[in-house]
Amino acid sequence: MLTYALRRLLISIPVIIAATLLIFVAISMSGDPLADLRQQPNITQGQIDRVRADRGLDQPAYVQYIRWVEQIPQGGFGEYMISPREIWPDLRRVATHTLQLVIGAEVIAFGIAVALGVASAKRQYSVFDYTTTTISFVGYSMPAFWFALILQVSVVTIWQVTGIRLFPLANLSSPNPGTGFAFFVDRVHHLILPMASLAIFSIASYSRYMRASMLEVINSDYVRTARAKGVPERKITTRHAMRNAMIPTVTVAALSFGALLSGAIVIETVFGLDGMGRYFILQLNRRDPYPIMAFLVITAVVTVVFNLIADLVYGYLDPRIRFD
Amino acid sequence: MAREKTAPSTQPIGVGEPLLSIRGLVTEFATADGVVHAVDGVSYDVYPGETVGVVGESGSGKSVTVMSLLGLIPQPPGRIAGGEVLLEGRDLLKLDPKELRKVRGKEIAMIFQDPMTSLNPVLTVGDQIAEAITSHAQVGKDEVRRRCVALLELVGVPNPSDRFDQYPHESSGGMRQRAMIAMAIANQPKILIADEPTTALDVTIQAQVLEVLAAAQRETNAGTILITHDLGVIAEMADRVVVMYGGRVVETGSVDEIFHSPKHPYTLGLLSSLPRPNVDMERLLPIPGNPPSLINLPSGCAFHPRCHLGEGRSSCRTEIPPLHQLGDGRHSACHYHDEMSEEAARVERETGTTIEGENP
Repeated sequence: MLTYALRRLLISIPVIIAATLLIFVAISMSGDPLADLRQQPNITQGQIDRVRADRGLDQPAYVQYIRWVEQIPQGGFGEYMISPREIWPDLRRVATHTLQLVIGAEVIAFGIAVALGVASAKRQYSVFDYTTTTISFVGYSMPAFWFALILQVSVVTIWQVTGIRLFPLANLSSPNPGTGFAFFVDRVHHLILPMASLAIFSIASYSRYMRASMLEVINSDYVRTARAKGVPERKITTRHAMRNAMIPTVTVAALSFGALLSGAIVIETVFGLDGMGRYFILQLNRRDPYPIMAFLVITAVVTVVFNLIADLVYGYLDPRIRFD
Repeated sequence: MAREKTAPSTQPIGVGEPLLSIRGLVTEFATADGVVHAVDGVSYDVYPGETVGVVGESGSGKSVTVMSLLGLIPQPPGRIAGGEVLLEGRDLLKLDPKELRKVRGKEIAMIFQDPMTSLNPVLTVGDQIAEAITSHAQVGKDEVRRRCVALLELVGVPNPSDRFDQYPHESSGGMRQRAMIAMAIANQPKILIADEPTTALDVTIQAQVLEVLAAAQRETNAGTILITHDLGVIAEMADRVVVMYGGRVVETGSVDEIFHSPKHPYTLGLLSSLPRPNVDMERLLPIPGNPPSLINLPSGCAFHPRCHLGEGRSSCRTEIPPLHQLGDGRHSACHYHDEMSEEAARVERETGTTIEGENP
């Protein structure tokens, strides 16, 4: 297992290096990084020349790339184009918020989806199975921002009718969130609606995969063997069937993690959350390539890390992969 | 396959009270094309310590019969429509699922055809054998391990202690089938069912696994049902034989009687279709025609469209032959079973062989 984990880890390094190269080519090389400065009437040619010299934009592309990439391992993405402010502290703050949202949503989605998938497969073609199938299709086809708005409207309506304010509609924390556990509870309270909006699509899709692989497994020879041994039905489900059926679902969940990150952009906007998505939109509008590249590198790293986690879970679930 | 046949057990074969008695079992499957009559009134007995070989071609209902009595038929689409299965006087078909679970793996254990798919790939071999024990008794962890290692040793797995911690994919098919046998005999079952235990294995491994199976049976003195379509395996392992065709029993008898004087044309067809090392044959002799459709079983005797003996006789087409008792434990479901000696002689003349298969 250790060699397996180490090998997976080593493979991630060239993947991230390749990602930085692609990001650099796509963002910095595809246009003029100084275009926005040139448009601004109150910026002189002298200032533009100085920025270009400071940033090394007058040098060959590979020098620029190395200059940019070599600062990343030291924990920095440099400064914004025009202000002398560091990018990394801002990015670290918003990335933390987004990861809280997205990991929370992913964990909830995976848990619910596995339970739903198993229950549907065990009662194939029952009323329960048809109901979850229908709800899954609705959840699958619903735009996340629309569902988020429905949730907000519902909470407001409940508030108006009963005077009970179930959930906050925006922001990550109350004005005085407190510290320690109180802060944590306050944060979870604020994130429940965004997590639900984000998770609904994942629940719908993962539960379909779980149901399909569960159906395949419960008709397999080894489940029949377990039954012939007199293993109790509940243990057949948890010990023999679920563990095997989860292997494909874990793959799907890991591959979908990137999609969840991009879904967060919309959800953070709807709920006014200070997360990576909003940060990205903001910087995109300011046409500053440096924070955008920094955002993309962080996204790439997070995606690679989650694929790594998926590989490790995979190895834990399936000994045939672990030992090869 | 020049192995000594298993030593006869102390109890005489086929006398006394049967351990397991299948009486008129009917199992059907509802499909889009109609109802499949997979098992149509099957009866046979298993006595302590004996091996009953069940032969028949694919779809003859030999597996479905034993799956039905263990409650391993998926329901729906399957349905047990009639009959009773008495294990020491207790009707298994009337047990609720919880009670039946306690019978499975403890009183009746089963070995399946394909060891490559019949073991769970994500659990160690040891875990899976241990499960057979812990599902039926509260046993401490060390004791379970000790017993599992002893079982693995008994079925001839080398380094049983190491194998205990390995996963199925680290073992060959033969080793996996040995592990399956260990699993099946873990609770000293009264009845051991082996469903085509050697079909998926290399020929060289088959004999070894049969040997292990025979040893396992000696160890437990279990009444054994050996399901196969391989007459060689029957000749080597079985004490009594049940021949099935189209979901019905067509002939029963001791292994000698079945091989030397078959009383049903289907059995005769099976025997004469065997390849013979001592006769120069251009081609094998198949039974003409195809296995019957279990949705629309031929009227009368299900074998009549393929039968030489029944040609042109109306009773074969109209009347379902009863299982005539010809002697102690000797039955034939053929209207003209008393003509079988001449029929066998005719086949011998035409093929230039003797019909007895491998001399048991």
